[in-house]
Amino acid sequence: MKSVARFLLVTLVLAVGSLTLAACSDDDDGGGGGDSSAEGGSITISQSSQPDYLDPALSYTVNGWEPMWLVYTPLITYKRAEGAEGSELIPGLAEDLPEISSDGLTYTLKLRDGLVYSDGTPVKASDFEHTIARVLNLESGGSFFYEAIEGADKYLSGGDPEADISGIEADDKTGEITVTLVEPDASFSNVLAMNFAGLVPGDTPFRNLTEDPPPGVGPYELTSSEPNREFVMEKSKTFEGLGIPEIPAGNIDTITTKIIPNAQQQAQDVIDNKLDYMQDNPPADLLPQIKERFEGSDAPDGERFEEHTTVSTYYFFLNVREEPFDDPKVREAVNVGLDRPALARLYGGTLAPGCGFLPPGMPGHNESLDGPDCPFGDPNQPPDLERAQQLLKEAGAEGAKVTVWGNTDDPTPKVTEAYADQLDKIGFDVDVRILGAGVYFQAIGNEDTRAQTGFTNWFQDFPHPLNFYFLVDGGTIQPTNNQNFSNVDDLKINDEINALALETDLASVEDSWAALDEVLVADNSYIAPYGHQKQSTFFSDRMDFSCALFNPLYLNDYSSWCLKEGE
Amino acid sequence: MPEGGRVATAEGAAAPAGAPEQATLGAPAGAGPWRLAWRRLRRNRATLVFGGVFVALVLFCIAAPLYAKHVAHTGPYENHLSDTIEQDGETVNVVGFDGVPIGPTWRGEFLLGADDNGRDVMVRILYGGRNSLLIGVSAALITLMLSILLGLVAGYMRGRVDGVISRMMDVLWAFPVVLLGVALGTSLALGGFELGPVSVGPGSLLIPIFVISIVYVPYMARPVRGQVLILREQDFVEAARSQGAGPLRVMFAEILPNLASTMIVFFPLLIANAILLEAALSFLGAGVQSPEPSWGTMIDSGVERIITAPMLTIAPGVFLVATVLALNVFGDGVRDAFDPKGRVRMEH
Repeated sequence: MKSVARFLLVTLVLAVGSLTLAACSDDDDGGGGGDSSAEGGSITISQSSQPDYLDPALSYTVNGWEPMWLVYTPLITYKRAEGAEGSELIPGLAEDLPEISSDGLTYTLKLRDGLVYSDGTPVKASDFEHTIARVLNLESGGSFFYEAIEGADKYLSGGDPEADISGIEADDKTGEITVTLVEPDASFSNVLAMNFAGLVPGDTPFRNLTEDPPPGVGPYELTSSEPNREFVMEKSKTFEGLGIPEIPAGNIDTITTKIIPNAQQQAQDVIDNKLDYMQDNPPADLLPQIKERFEGSDAPDGERFEEHTTVSTYYFFLNVREEPFDDPKVREAVNVGLDRPALARLYGGTLAPGCGFLPPGMPGHNESLDGPDCPFGDPNQPPDLERAQQLLKEAGAEGAKVTVWGNTDDPTPKVTEAYADQLDKIGFDVDVRILGAGVYFQAIGNEDTRAQTGFTNWFQDFPHPLNFYFLVDGGTIQPTNNQNFSNVDDLKINDEINALALETDLASVEDSWAALDEVLVADNSYIAPYGHQKQSTFFSDRMDFSCALFNPLYLNDYSSWCLKEGE
Repeated sequence: MPEGGRVATAEGAAAPAGAPEQATLGAPAGAGPWRLAWRRLRRNRATLVFGGVFVALVLFCIAAPLYAKHVAHTGPYENHLSDTIEQDGETVNVVGFDGVPIGPTWRGEFLLGADDNGRDVMVRILYGGRNSLLIGVSAALITLMLSILLGLVAGYMRGRVDGVISRMMDVLWAFPVVLLGVALGTSLALGGFELGPVSVGPGSLLIPIFVISIVYVPYMARPVRGQVLILREQDFVEAARSQGAGPLRVMFAEILPNLASTMIVFFPLLIANAILLEAALSFLGAGVQSPEPSWGTMIDSGVERIITAPMLTIAPGVFLVATVLALNVFGDGVRDAFDPKGRVRMEH
């Protein structure tokens, strides 16, 4: 035991020593680089956790979509541009945008001539049906979107993966593809542009191919995948010759993505030019230093950092099937008592407080909910705690037992604990459950868990309010993998969603979507939104910052990147 | 025969080894082993000082609610994200808009600063200490009881019973302590556990207590078994048997009292190891679950702020090192006092 005592003393001395060293060693060889950019080259970037899947049929996370939208191009896609322009639909592997029949039920597209996958296999029109069949058959998180296709339900219940989906007709000779829907869906063009619909060859197996990703058509191909270690994307040898306008072929030759759980290490490695980019925002601890040194064109150590507003909403779900949140007054008490500016501080200045569900940048965004006119009080000001306590008292729910759920992804545990403390101050009797990030959403989306309230968020998949409102649509509630965590099943909301979904001219119904936000949040408090997140681009000194594009849907566009001359 | 006499008999069994030690200490003839041990302990100043440090830490942690109420004016779970305090005549945010918490104020409120949620670090350290000590002492007690029971039965019964128990210990021993602790802790922390009518929730402190007490059993049960193997061959055990005492009576009335000094030697060392393991498990997310404070979880969350708020890591680290160091030095002293020849060693 004496040796243990000595070990502890030595550990303490080493810990203090290393802290001193860490505090002193902030010098790096940063500084501006050349103004001109280079062609080709290799970079190493990082993600904090392995993408859920490296299979376009299955992946449904930012981690997966950011790299994979450059590997698997759907029939239609989005413009490689920043801001609102980046949400514009453009033809992808199809020659043109779909022709939609007057009843809104039939979508007709024609495949471009001479397309080949990254392995040289010719692309056939029938590959589209196989692609959608994989999404449905593998019970992907995105299968819900394609169940609108005629015959999809029959295909699913039949259990035969090779069976035909009657609503998809594909002619390999002419390249014509016709998709027939059960009922009109104004967002279906966006659904066709989702990553799930990125074409894969017709013989791609019906199983998760994360360890051996299938070939696709895109500026890059996935050439190696070692789950939880790294995956490699190389510039496609075939894509440039296909001549698809508006989809650039990419500059960097090889992009190696390493999985590094420690955000602090990732940020330090980018500062030190050992990594060229980190997908997550830098940790709050290093953010002030990074902003000071690298933000803006006149940054002292060269421009390497920029923040972008994302189309996202962070909110707490309030499960209406569980006490005490079955009472609207209790839900209102939570919304009134929620200290939104306090929660924003936990995000280190990267979260803009708000009360609205549809975020800024999304058609139908209700500005009044994100400003001083929010019915629960200005989201940028401390809450009216007394009013919240009074509401809880009126509901007779003082001291009601509530378990708050959160996951381990930083800063969610702190946000969950802060939310629990705020509920405690309102008058609830609160417990906290923190689960691993990898299992969290499956756990709270399982009806057996009976999760009362907790953390969740949503980033847009496509620029249509339906992409947010399916999260509170009674028709989407399912026993497992449920995304409607509040279990909202309000006839008025359901009917309005169904009615607005039919309208193809989105601009004409933006006000109606904004009004629906009032019904969801202000009138019924089905959820407790607290803000909208910003996302950063943070590069090493090797990268030419002027090349980089930030797409509102797929975030950082790797195909736009380039290295500085001489790197 | 009085109880004290029985203990003396057992020590007498080891007397040939202990006799020269007594002579060098100049103990008067006839002094009992307890008195001898106490005398040795009193002469070891380092042991007494570190024992005092440990007692002071325990008292300080026990007084956490008083400190929170009358000095810090805040509880261990209370967030102060939007609050401000007066410092050097200026109003400052407890947590800045950029998320950086206030550092040490060196006065009652936020003495050692605040964490990311604006909670008082000193208050959480004291409450975390209560959890660490509660887990450490409880786990050590359970380990002690299980180890004595298993070591006693295995050492006395020998044969097949010994074989089964020893192999079970070998299986547990085959896993590194932290690895086994993390595996058990993570699986239990996810869903809790139910054992007949006993149901333990996922966030309960009973889980780290249970996990830590189990993983350390082989480290103590084996040396206890060795002690029992020696004691069962002593004359006083033979005498009890010849008077008709059954195995249970021999084990628990004759041999067990003679393991008292072993238990005393092991106990502080077991507590130290248990506190250290609790901190390691909590650091890895498999021990105390948030928002319950523990030194391990505080160090873990503080690492994310190592540059802008290093006190979040240093402060709980210093308390952890001080506690474990105090217990180890005190434990070494107790062993030197009760077992000067070093016959009993916790196996690693």
